[in-house]
Amino acid sequence: MVSVRALKMGLCALLCLSAAACGGGSGRTLGNGSPPPTSTSNTASVIVDNGPLNESVNTLFTTVTVCVPGSTTNCQTIDHIQVDTGSYGLRILASVLTVTLPVETLASGNSLAECTQFVDGFSWGPIVTADIQIAGETAHSLPVESIGDSRFANIPAECSGTGGTEEDTVSTFGANGILGVGPFELDCGDCDTVTHGLYFACTATSCTDTTVPDNMQVPNPVTHFAADNNGVIVVLPSVAAGGASDVMGSLIFGIDTQTDNASGTQTVLTVNDEAELAITFNGQTLANSFLDSGSNGIYFSDSSIVTCTAPPSDPTSQIVNFYCPTSTLTLPITIQGTNGTMTNNLTFGVGNAITMLDTNFDAFPQLAGTLPAGNAGTFDYGLPFFYGKRVAVAVEGAMTTAGTGPYFAF
Amino acid sequence: MPIPRSNDFKMAALGLAALVAALMPHVASATLGQPEITVQTDVAQAHAAIKYSEDRTGYRVHEIQMSSGTAVREFVAPNGTVFAVAWQGPTRPDLRQLLGQYFDAFASAPRTKFTDRRHVQIQQGDLVLQSGGHMRALSGRAYLRSAVPSGVNLGDLH
Repeated sequence: MVSVRALKMGLCALLCLSAAACGGGSGRTLGNGSPPPTSTSNTASVIVDNGPLNESVNTLFTTVTVCVPGSTTNCQTIDHIQVDTGSYGLRILASVLTVTLPVETLASGNSLAECTQFVDGFSWGPIVTADIQIAGETAHSLPVESIGDSRFANIPAECSGTGGTEEDTVSTFGANGILGVGPFELDCGDCDTVTHGLYFACTATSCTDTTVPDNMQVPNPVTHFAADNNGVIVVLPSVAAGGASDVMGSLIFGIDTQTDNASGTQTVLTVNDEAELAITFNGQTLANSFLDSGSNGIYFSDSSIVTCTAPPSDPTSQIVNFYCPTSTLTLPITIQGTNGTMTNNLTFGVGNAITMLDTNFDAFPQLAGTLPAGNAGTFDYGLPFFYGKRVAVAVEGAMTTAGTGPYFAF
Repeated sequence: MPIPRSNDFKMAALGLAALVAALMPHVASATLGQPEITVQTDVAQAHAAIKYSEDRTGYRVHEIQMSSGTAVREFVAPNGTVFAVAWQGPTRPDLRQLLGQYFDAFASAPRTKFTDRRHVQIQQGDLVLQSGGHMRALSGRAYLRSAVPSGVNLGDLH
């Protein structure tokens, strides 16, 4: 993978040099007189809005086109696909699919299905293949999970037994799908040799836990693009402290593959084999910390900050797990990669969650919540980290001018 | 109560696991809130191994290493009751087995506004269940408030 990626990068660099054709970057905003782009449009629009359920906060979405493999007409464009740097792979709710995508078949002849585990539950469905397009990038016959697919209605006990809620509908999932673009290639590190209750081989009547070859597993789709396949850059504007609505930004594919994704002098923080790094906060170094567009707030433990009180009208409200200081706090942290590089002078704000969430906004840079004491080694810096920044997420093995993936850089 | 040295206990536990598996192959008893013997049931059913058993001040911990790479820890009070369980690894263990009668509280937790898919904090009656992490690194724990021995630091239960 690495050498292929490096070759592709080199090829693109050569094209840029020879044709001066990569200028204009995304190719979407060329002015008069600019040469037409010969490079791929590598920039997708992203938005933080209130999502398909009209209730999301700090949730980043984009739009993806899926086609039946080999077809350019049997296609569908789907909005409100969540952009998640904390997972891997494209998963789409079958209930929004209007095209019929073929299910992957194992060498045994059985169909392949997956029980994706999220922290709060699981999503069950077959692995299908699709030609996908995001901006100008394409991936052919990409393994994709079709969540809640009526062709595979029976959830095995081994899947539901992993716990939490079944998230197989838009109303339980909170999005039309999810685009996992974290710094690894696959959604499982060793499913080719070890069973995890993730991948299942299904006959017409039952499904059993199985190993599965890497090339049939659900990959980070970026790694299957023909070009710009070594990572992504998430670009979001700064957001007012009290919140904002419908914040727009860019999801740029590739790092150092075109002029619009060239590395500069950013800080490169390499992550460990769990995509984690160290965050020092309140004098404690939290070794299992992570930067994650799929977390909707800044989550950490600090018993000195007052938490929110549930309103009498909703005594079991989960608002009690958020912080509600009487005035906004500004707190310092440092982030250190496994390469030893450390950030300096970073601070984050903690606002009053009830005050913020009582507005009609959907983007909140100062929304912060608690982590239980058992997670004392973690600082989960969610989407607020990405506001006002240009954050590169390099896939494992990616060789960029700034460093070798897996890393986050900003 | 007399507490065996951990190596002795591990040997005894492994022997007991084999015995349990032989005598009660269909035991599907719960673990959280149940007697310590269910630790061995878990081991037998999961084809896993007790990695270590350790006496701590006021309670005992068994760590079970699953073949998936996930570690499960079961916390036993002096009265022999499993008062807490915790897991950490690439994927979750069989929580139906581990949580027993408390499994449904996690399965039926409603999706609520403001929450994402990275955080769970459930308090329901005596049960506290908390989970965090992200794909390929999931962790969590559950404990029974009334069963936690006095003096135990909740932050140590992970």
